[in-house]
Amino acid sequence: MNLTKTKSQSGDVVDAQELTKVFGEEVAVNALTMKVPRGTIFGFIGPSGCGKTTTVRLLTGIYKPTSGQVTVLGKQPIHFSKSDQEKIGYLIQSFVLYPELTVWENLNFAASFYGVSLFRHGRLNKLLEFVELREDKRKLARALSGGMKRRLSLAATLVHNPELLFLDEPTAGIDPLLRRKFWDYFKELQKQGHSLFITTQYVGEAAYCDLVGVMYEGKLLMVESPEGLRRKAYGGDIIGIRTTELIRYENRKKLESLPFVRGKVKVIGDQEIEITVDEANTAMPALMEVAKAERLNVEKIEQISPPFDDVFVRLIEKEAANVA
Amino acid sequence: MLRRFFKFLIRISSFMSKELTEIIRQPKLILTLVFGPFLIMFLFGLGYPNQNRTLRTTFVAEDPSSIQGDMKLFTDSIPAIADQDIENNKELALAKLALNQTDLVILIPKDPFGTVQNNQQAKFIIYHNEVDPFQIGYINSVARIYTDEVNRRILQTITEQGQQGAGAVQGNLENAITKTRALKQAIPPGDTNAATQVNELEKDLATVHEQLTTFRGMGSDVLVSPFTVDTVPLSNIEFTPTDFFAPAVIVLLLQHLSITFASLSIVREHRSGIIELFRVAPITAFETLVGKFLSYLLFEILLAGVITFLAIWLLKIPMFGSWINYAIAVVILLFTSLGVGFLISLISETDTQAVQYSMLLLLASIFFSGFFLDLRLMWQPIKVLAWSLPATYGIRMLQDVMLRGASVPPLMVEGLALIGIGLFLVNWFILRRKMEA
Repeated sequence: MNLTKTKSQSGDVVDAQELTKVFGEEVAVNALTMKVPRGTIFGFIGPSGCGKTTTVRLLTGIYKPTSGQVTVLGKQPIHFSKSDQEKIGYLIQSFVLYPELTVWENLNFAASFYGVSLFRHGRLNKLLEFVELREDKRKLARALSGGMKRRLSLAATLVHNPELLFLDEPTAGIDPLLRRKFWDYFKELQKQGHSLFITTQYVGEAAYCDLVGVMYEGKLLMVESPEGLRRKAYGGDIIGIRTTELIRYENRKKLESLPFVRGKVKVIGDQEIEITVDEANTAMPALMEVAKAERLNVEKIEQISPPFDDVFVRLIEKEAANVA
Repeated sequence: MLRRFFKFLIRISSFMSKELTEIIRQPKLILTLVFGPFLIMFLFGLGYPNQNRTLRTTFVAEDPSSIQGDMKLFTDSIPAIADQDIENNKELALAKLALNQTDLVILIPKDPFGTVQNNQQAKFIIYHNEVDPFQIGYINSVARIYTDEVNRRILQTITEQGQQGAGAVQGNLENAITKTRALKQAIPPGDTNAATQVNELEKDLATVHEQLTTFRGMGSDVLVSPFTVDTVPLSNIEFTPTDFFAPAVIVLLLQHLSITFASLSIVREHRSGIIELFRVAPITAFETLVGKFLSYLLFEILLAGVITFLAIWLLKIPMFGSWINYAIAVVILLFTSLGVGFLISLISETDTQAVQYSMLLLLASIFFSGFFLDLRLMWQPIKVLAWSLPATYGIRMLQDVMLRGASVPPLMVEGLALIGIGLFLVNWFILRRKMEA
């Protein structure tokens, strides 16, 4: 269902340079530099309290930066005009709509305070259909489940058809099935031309994003694609090999001596190992040949994608080691 | 330009419909708001008939059979003193007073006439057990009325005795006049000096006789109390306590409801976090405030209409003024009260704090708005506080319009409107800081 008529434009929707926010003596966001290309889903991942929400508030103009520069849709957020604000949608972490109003009334309220034309009945119905709440539009918001409230909040965020969406932990506290559904909504919105800036503490959700910024203790550690994050965490792609014979020490040494292999071969079992390589696609045929030469019968060879939780832990450990 | 204006109207309408829907969604609340004030006024009318309190009184006379005992009879024309009982034991009477079996103990002076004949005033001592200053004031008034009545009765008795005595004197005078006439005839002609003196004597005696006739012909009550008094209200209508208090009750309720509604409005939004959303959205503090003002104003005007209709139609509260004047007074009162409520909402951190501030303001309004204590009796500096409360203006205006049939005094309208506009500007400034900081 198409909800928008967003014009296709190029460029970055967010451009932050050395963006810093200090509260008293606490540095909430420390010299954050990043760009968010138009039309992407940008995941902003980090543990609770790492500065994600503060960053969103800096990008939406709620907070004034202590230092550094930021432009959103080409304007400084603290100097947004009304028409700039009409291009932005903001979903707050908690449910802030009115429990004594129905789903429809809440949505209508949001449409009014964004100044959406009074001929909006059709659009509101489409939105409710999009978030699968059309059947519940006469229900009071207080009677909705947590997931339904989130969907209502999302619909309210979309009501004025914004170009850029800031979604602050939209999937926090909801079950995995619904989380998955939310990411389907986000993908759909991306297809319609929206740019999405999404914060989450669920590291696994990085996989749904085009770009992921990893935030830790106020610092942006890196901005990468999901695969790029894995590579950064493990130093390359990981390939798993299972053979029908015992993999000996000499065999492992041979593999480690290959130019595209990074570090030591990890022993999983007598007949199973994991190897970190520069590029999985080119390394796999070469590894097959080496195995053949070593008289190892390869039963299975595949690229392994470690869960993003592990990737994230590894990245944080690396960062801690660097700091030390 | 036109598009911008339409968007401005749409944004304002968001709060209007939201606030009104939230209120309408609570029918029990609306019923309470409409019928609660009406019920209070109705019960007040039932509970306070236009009568003064009757005091159960015990007299203490050492010898109840003497003139002391008759003193209690002098209360028959004082309705405030009732259920008279006479004791000869002061301690017993005071014990009854302590046990609330009587309201007053009047100690009749011993040998009052003897005391007066010795050129001294005889003194009543009246005991009571009240702590309420207004009731003490009432008892003092009753005591004065009682003493005046006793003095009047005694003077009346003395006067009547004097009139009877004057009858005997008049008889003697008539004899004297007869003798004077005989004497006049016995004066030898030519003794003009003696004739002149006897003529003057006769004339004097006739004058005294005439004056005594007048004295005897006058009622003793007129002689003792030559003046009486009637108080007449300009409107020539006697108001019941319900009539008098109804405009003030309407004002106090409308002020309190406006303040309570408005005081919870923004603080709740601040607590829920939606203000953060407003800060990112293209809605301004001005649009938010105007939307909220209009929604509550509309609702409160409807509420005021229903309460007024019930008061006039069911309680028969008089309405001598014009409805336009009444409407002007109510709308300005509501506008200013909402301003107070929004200010509370903007400076409060929690719902509880907002409710506490509203209650404090209600208490201040009861004491300082002239609701039951006359403003003219207030210490001058405290009057500044009194005139900073919307209810003070509202009560004056509604009493003038409803009970006196007058127009709303322009100074009141201007004063209250000025406070309302000032509050709107302050609220706008604070909300702007909150939304745009």
